Amino acid sequence: MAEISETMGTELSPSEENRKVNSETSIFDHKTMRKTKPGLKRLTLTLTVLFSFLLGLPWLLKSVEIYRSPLPFRDIDSLSNEIDSNPFLYPCKFHVVVVNLDHSTPVKSNAENLGFLVTNHMSRFADANSCGTCENNYTVSVTLDSGNNCVQHQDADSSTAWRCGAITDFNYDQTLKNEEDFDDYLESVLGRNRVYTVVVVNTNEGDDNRIRSVVGKYRHAWIVCKVSDMNLLTEKIAEIFIKIFVNGLKEQESIQGEFIPAGADGKIVLSFNLLNANPRDWIYDWDFKEVDEKLLAPTLKALSPIANISVESQVLYHTPKSSYSYWDAEHESHVFSTKDLPFFVNSNEWHLDTSIAAGGRSKILQFVVYIPSANECPLRLQLPNGEISVTNGFISPTWGGVVVLNPPNCWENENGIHPLRRKVSPQELNQIFEVFMGQLRQLFGLKSTGFYKGTSGTSVLLSSQRGFTEWELDVLARQHACYNLRQCGATLGSLSRLVQSLPRMIIKDEIGKQVKFSLEAAKLAQSNASQGIYDASAVNSRHARSLAEDAFFHPSVMSVSYYSFEHNFAVYSPFFLPLSLHVILAVVREMKRYKQGSRKYNAWRAVTNQNSD
Amino acid sequence: MTNLKRDNFFSRFVLTLTVITVSLSCSYVNLTHAASSTSSSSSSSSVHTNNWAVLVCTSRFWFNYRHMANTLSLYRTVKRLGIPDERIILMLADDMACNSRNKYPAQVFNNENHWLNLYGDNVEVDYRGYEVTVENFLRVLTGRHENAVPRSKRLLSDEGSHILLYMTGHGGDEFLKFQDSDELQSHDLADAVKQMKEKRRFKELLIMVDTCQAATLFSQLHSPGVLAIGSSMKGENSYSHHLDSDIGVSVVDRFTFYTLAFFERLNMYDNSSLSSLFGSFNPNLLLSTAYYRTDLYQQEVEKVPVTNFFGSVMKTIHTASAYRFISRKDSNQPQFDMSSHQSSDMNAQRIATSSDPEKQVDDPDTNVVKKGTCPHAEVWDMMVDKFQSIKKVDIIVNYGLVGLLTLVALSTWHSSSSSSSSS
Repeated sequence: MAEISETMGTELSPSEENRKVNSETSIFDHKTMRKTKPGLKRLTLTLTVLFSFLLGLPWLLKSVEIYRSPLPFRDIDSLSNEIDSNPFLYPCKFHVVVVNLDHSTPVKSNAENLGFLVTNHMSRFADANSCGTCENNYTVSVTLDSGNNCVQHQDADSSTAWRCGAITDFNYDQTLKNEEDFDDYLESVLGRNRVYTVVVVNTNEGDDNRIRSVVGKYRHAWIVCKVSDMNLLTEKIAEIFIKIFVNGLKEQESIQGEFIPAGADGKIVLSFNLLNANPRDWIYDWDFKEVDEKLLAPTLKALSPIANISVESQVLYHTPKSSYSYWDAEHESHVFSTKDLPFFVNSNEWHLDTSIAAGGRSKILQFVVYIPSANECPLRLQLPNGEISVTNGFISPTWGGVVVLNPPNCWENENGIHPLRRKVSPQELNQIFEVFMGQLRQLFGLKSTGFYKGTSGTSVLLSSQRGFTEWELDVLARQHACYNLRQCGATLGSLSRLVQSLPRMIIKDEIGKQVKFSLEAAKLAQSNASQGIYDASAVNSRHARSLAEDAFFHPSVMSVSYYSFEHNFAVYSPFFLPLSLHVILAVVREMKRYKQGSRKYNAWRAVTNQNSD
Repeated sequence: MTNLKRDNFFSRFVLTLTVITVSLSCSYVNLTHAASSTSSSSSSSSVHTNNWAVLVCTSRFWFNYRHMANTLSLYRTVKRLGIPDERIILMLADDMACNSRNKYPAQVFNNENHWLNLYGDNVEVDYRGYEVTVENFLRVLTGRHENAVPRSKRLLSDEGSHILLYMTGHGGDEFLKFQDSDELQSHDLADAVKQMKEKRRFKELLIMVDTCQAATLFSQLHSPGVLAIGSSMKGENSYSHHLDSDIGVSVVDRFTFYTLAFFERLNMYDNSSLSSLFGSFNPNLLLSTAYYRTDLYQQEVEKVPVTNFFGSVMKTIHTASAYRFISRKDSNQPQFDMSSHQSSDMNAQRIATSSDPEKQVDDPDTNVVKKGTCPHAEVWDMMVDKFQSIKKVDIIVNYGLVGLLTLVALSTWHSSSSSSSSS
């Protein structure tokens, strides 16, 4: 290349040149000097190539870019922090109404005193660390009613107003005897508001120790007694408020939060199965449609804020149980004990899970009516204390329940060749579904005994025709909302960790939307909860959880499907590494050459300048 | 002087590249580590409510008959011990029963006496043939299915589930081959288990693997509640038990054979402990050393019955009373019978069998594969040992990348400068 630049700048005439050369050869050094400016052509060429490569780089990056829908990581973190840090507390309103029937004038200070005592007892009963309660977030208002004038204390706003003399209008003597009617009457007086009320009816007759307390099927209870011991009465009121209305008489030791049987998508399928153990003896059928319409529909409607419940039924044949039973002469029946219960369900022969309605993540609860074969009839469940079970049934948490239905006459078809075809009678169906309702309530963690034995005496619990009373539904709604929101927070939290750990994973728009909607639903659930709207909060929390789970379990979130950095390097380096190195090195070399050339030229210029000077 | 300059520039160039590469790979490594460290280890005090089993045979082709027989034998055992079909995910990578080389069509045996047809009634294969891939396997574990996948093909476990994961096939150091084409690596498995734990898809998980160097597959597991049993240690092979001359191939693997022998003595009511299962593996019979990883498992294996994983014991509660919601008039008189007895404790006592302390000792006489005696094999062994002792593989890889870059750069530089000077 040196040759080229040297031959380029020879425009002088030979004679002149000869003279110049003669004068300058003495100072001209080929190694360090040159007479012409170095050419820019090759440098520009290589630089152009390099820049065109650099220009192409954004296009390349754009074309291999991974689409990651922006997820609101900060919102997710704040949600899960919020859920973790402060447990879900609902505002609860309580109202005590004392109806004095002696027509004495009520005193304001009495009401204050009563309210103070009740609050005191309530804080003693309160369960600190359970989800979905109203820890210290409650108000207690007291009304004293003596028939013609009333005294109210604390927060007596319109929603908790008690119509003065409401009970004396009514012929209480008779109605108190019929508790169902009194319950309905109280409901009409108190109206449909979200205040838990205890009405104390002070009768002056009867003896001191008889306290009859009844919890109705709405949001109120009443106590009929002769008020003598204020402390005992207030303790009782506080117990009803906290243990019954707030905690819902949960069976603390056996049913925990994770037993809540709603599926991750907020759906439950109740699958009712009639199992004929041996159809050669008898074949039972049932009129399920009627049961569904009459007995189940109100319950499903009542539970609709908690879960989206659907019902299906089937009749199966040749389904023997897999546990043993033995003949017990004392009870004149075949007996199986509670020890055998874990082996009762014969999962190889009972093909229960045949549902096509149930989606991937919804929950199926099996309810099984087991009709024993002739050689194990009648079949009864013996309790550990030797007694025979009243219900003849049992549950398995999160799975469902089983009831054994014995045919009325076990020796009916002893010599028959053909099986007897029978239909389960409506009475039997009613019995069965009462047990099933008890089992469903048990699965939800509620007791069905119809009474509550507290520290301050026994309370009667009225049962609702819908299977769940209003206050029980409130409890369920609160607990489900709390549980769902925790799950939602945890799911979104682990999704965000997962997504951040896989930087090369595609995040579809769908996931982004699901996360966004889930967060919105969670916010809505929280705001509804803080206003005390339990059922709406439960519905929102269900949506939030289901959307969060959808996002987490989205099929595109699979770490195996995405390449790591090493993969990418391995894919692209054979294409670009040799080429780019050549281009870069060419530019580097040209730059050096140009610099070197211009340095030589400058040196020559300096020399000539000195000479001319 | 120019040479110096050139070197200077070149070294700077290489340095920049090095920095870029290292920082990139480091950030990558950091990210993955951060992800693994933030996994929530919240130990929920949930109750064991149900059992699931995922049984996987990963190898194709007729000569791998024994792997399918292994899996079907396990399937039969867990079904017999009470896990229902809807809670078993059975994955068989090939269909031996209908293979044209099968002398007994539609039958599969795991013993040359042919007493027991494993492919009898009620075998529900959930994933078969080419459906058995690493991707589908990981989808089953993590629960990320397409919407159309039916319930029977999903692992619908919850926080109260005990899961048995049994895998058999051909494996090696930290991998298990699927379908002769792709492989499940130990970190894939560990990642899936981590995600399962995070989403509370199990309470306890028993991973049982019958493959060569099975123990290496567990090396990356970190999630609590996981118990792992492998048929062989690192560097050991798992051997087949015997050859059926009628069928023409081996029909069962040794580890699975002795596992089944243990379970044949059990029924649903038994409560032998896991440690007695572990103790039943005799290295002399297995020709390999069975490996147990129990450090992630909180409970004592002496007290845990095998039916916790290999069977299904339902937790039941007696229904004390019905809810009288139909007949209104009766409900006024609640019955004050206090018969709210719950089911008594099923598992009153467990017999803890002592585990044999000698079982871990490898008998040198039974080592079938002798170490190579030629000198280059020894050198190779030494090198392999050295490489295996290196802990930070990522850094080695990064250095390798940098070295590669320098090499390419140098060669390019050299070739271009020589070509330019020659021109």
